[in-house]
Amino acid sequence: MKFARILGGVAALALLSPFAAAADGGSLVILSTQTPRHLNGAVQSGTATAVPSTQLFASPLRYDAEWNPQPYLAESWAVSEDGLSVTLNLVKNATFHDGKPVTSEDVAFSIMTTKEHHPFKSMFAPVETIETPDAHTAIIRLSKPHPALLLALSPALAPVLPKHVYGDGQDPKSHPANSAPIGSGPFMLESFTPGEATILKKNPNFFREGYPKLDEIIIRIVKDENALLIAMENGEADIFPFMTSSNSIKRMQGVERLTVTDQGYAGIGPINWLAFNTKSEKLSDKRVRQAIAYAIDRTFITKALMRGVAQPQRGPIIESSPFFDASIPAYDVDLDKAKALMAEAGFADGMELSVDYIPGNDEQQKNVAEYLKSQLKKIGIEVSVRPSPDFPTWAGRVSSHDFELTMDVVFNWGDPVIGVHRTYLSTNIVPGVIWSNTQSYANAKVDEILNAAAVEGDPEERKALYAEFQQIVGDELPIYWLNASPYHTAYDSRLGNPPMTIWGPMSPLDEVYWKEPK
Amino acid sequence: MSAADPAAPRKAARAESPLREAWVMFRRNRPAMAGLALLVLIILATLYGALLYGGDPYEIVWAPHEPPGATPEFPLGTDYLGRDIVAGLLTGGGPTLAVGAAAALLTMLIGVTIGALAGYFGGAIDNLLMRFTEFFQVLPALLFAMVLVTLFSPSLTMIAIAIGLVSWPQTARLTRAEFLKIRKLEYVTAARAIGARDGRIMWRVILPNALPPLIVSATLTIGVAILFEAGLSFLGLGDPNTMSWGLMIGANRAYILSAWWPVTFPGLAIFLTVFAVSLVGDGLNDAFNPKLRER
Repeated sequence: MKFARILGGVAALALLSPFAAAADGGSLVILSTQTPRHLNGAVQSGTATAVPSTQLFASPLRYDAEWNPQPYLAESWAVSEDGLSVTLNLVKNATFHDGKPVTSEDVAFSIMTTKEHHPFKSMFAPVETIETPDAHTAIIRLSKPHPALLLALSPALAPVLPKHVYGDGQDPKSHPANSAPIGSGPFMLESFTPGEATILKKNPNFFREGYPKLDEIIIRIVKDENALLIAMENGEADIFPFMTSSNSIKRMQGVERLTVTDQGYAGIGPINWLAFNTKSEKLSDKRVRQAIAYAIDRTFITKALMRGVAQPQRGPIIESSPFFDASIPAYDVDLDKAKALMAEAGFADGMELSVDYIPGNDEQQKNVAEYLKSQLKKIGIEVSVRPSPDFPTWAGRVSSHDFELTMDVVFNWGDPVIGVHRTYLSTNIVPGVIWSNTQSYANAKVDEILNAAAVEGDPEERKALYAEFQQIVGDELPIYWLNASPYHTAYDSRLGNPPMTIWGPMSPLDEVYWKEPK
Repeated sequence: MSAADPAAPRKAARAESPLREAWVMFRRNRPAMAGLALLVLIILATLYGALLYGGDPYEIVWAPHEPPGATPEFPLGTDYLGRDIVAGLLTGGGPTLAVGAAAALLTMLIGVTIGALAGYFGGAIDNLLMRFTEFFQVLPALLFAMVLVTLFSPSLTMIAIAIGLVSWPQTARLTRAEFLKIRKLEYVTAARAIGARDGRIMWRVILPNALPPLIVSATLTIGVAILFEAGLSFLGLGDPNTMSWGLMIGANRAYILSAWWPVTFPGLAIFLTVFAVSLVGDGLNDAFNPKLRER
């Protein structure tokens, strides 16, 4: 079997490695439950594509663990005084895997391609043109200030594509090169077998001197999470990112050789929440929504249901983001207040509600829905849990606004403009589109604040605008935020520089090395 | 039964009525009596247990995954949400048994009707109905039930209907065989000779005499249906709004390595119920089958 061959290769490398220097070389086996459709992150979102894509393609900037942009393909950058242009000064020694130099033409081409084809339309929407005065300078011209731009130049969101490959007029979404990409990142593609493995080898001509440290990265894809846990336990694999179930996390914590962490997911900002259909007659009164919030015990959900692996999340912006406002109302459990609010809203005799949930991740979704059934009964709400047999069924119901309550999990994607605005802007009530404003929440003031925050260049001013936004939605509750999805990474403790930046495993692993040979 | 029917075969003495005779046989069968006692106990527990015990099976009463015996209040511990397992067992038994009984009833209804028509009329009707039956018989039962439950909502009614729809072919074939055999007997010819219509002959003359093997088959179908419901729930297709033993197993199975009790107790309950039903079914079989009476 192919799988056995891959394992054989790993074993052979492990045998060779004692002769290599301790700090350099070696291979790294990353586990994944998802098969990427292809490896081009410029036209495809999602973690399955982003992990290999960020190894293959470099991007103008990268980020550290404290939300600070760091030079990558751009050795320096400057935002103009009026916020309407951003100048990128590219490194001079960067080449694609086929030997051709990386120029400002490629950067301009890539950003425009991403703007046109990536699902996150707000990332590059204000970009009008990109000027290329010389081969190593790109000037991005904006129609309005766009503070989210720097974050959107991250490896996971703005891979720099070779124009000489992708500029041939074919649709980039179905381009043949997507399965055999040529980038300028630290690793080159050795083989991509959907459903089995993606094998990457060191790019010897990588523009960052002395990197990458590893010789090889193998992304092994196995759907069955149990099989992956076993592979981690017996040392066949080195990193298992994106774990959420407390079972898996606790099992990995029990393995002495491994370190388990929830660092590295601040950028994704995954929030597990309860959404209200504000168009429903029963839920249109904010007092009913507040009553439900007062009845729900976040601490019980995170500590007991998720067995302590998840953190409570009080607002629409992930708590690890600098834009989170800690003074947002927390709605600590208060059943008397909840009952009083129900009575005030005219529902003293209670009501019946249904709750949907995304099938597949029971601990984060189904179990919480069942908890609501038990908990809301205490304030007179009879909840029936409405299961969906598969994801498309759930997405169909929620996107067509055929629901009352639903559990959901939505990503912040770094900047609120990319991942937060879409849920609350009344202009984004788009029936048929999942993860739009499916709550039908409309507040002119919120629209105004969000539109102002999108173009506000001063970080402190922006923070103030988002604080105001959080106070309003925290009072009106189109959504009740429950917890941050407990993404965890388990990795071999002998690894140096494990991926702990805001983008975690969705960023270049060029600095990862073995502190001692495997 | 058919004692008042002039067309039905009459036994010489009242004491010798087939049902009574069967009961005498059944009572002598110790395993069957034990099964019956167990079944009665289980039914009583599911009917009145929840009332006597008094807990709400959906209410989160304590920390999740507390082992049995950790507190006298919840003798069998709590599940993944912190719900009382005893309350779940007592409340969940009703729907479990109801699904089993309803599915068995539906199975009998469809199976006996189709089998009787095919066996009695024979010829083209028989051919047509049996091809239809074979079509259902070759469908993988669990998969077909899963499709039905997935297409429509996974409510308890739908689950019962799905189980009924996939398990009737056996009953149909059994009924047909009985009808084929009995319709050639003299008392049937006699009934026809005095001018009884087809419907009367089928339902009042042949059916009562074909009943014993069908009763046995129906009893066993209840057991199969309970297991079916457990299987569907195990695969996550149960009705989350109605507590049942299968649902308890299905919802708790993810944690079986760290908490064995929320899965084990409903599993035991299903095992005991199906075991009791099988013993009763076996006893009925022995009691109705004259060839085994000498044993």
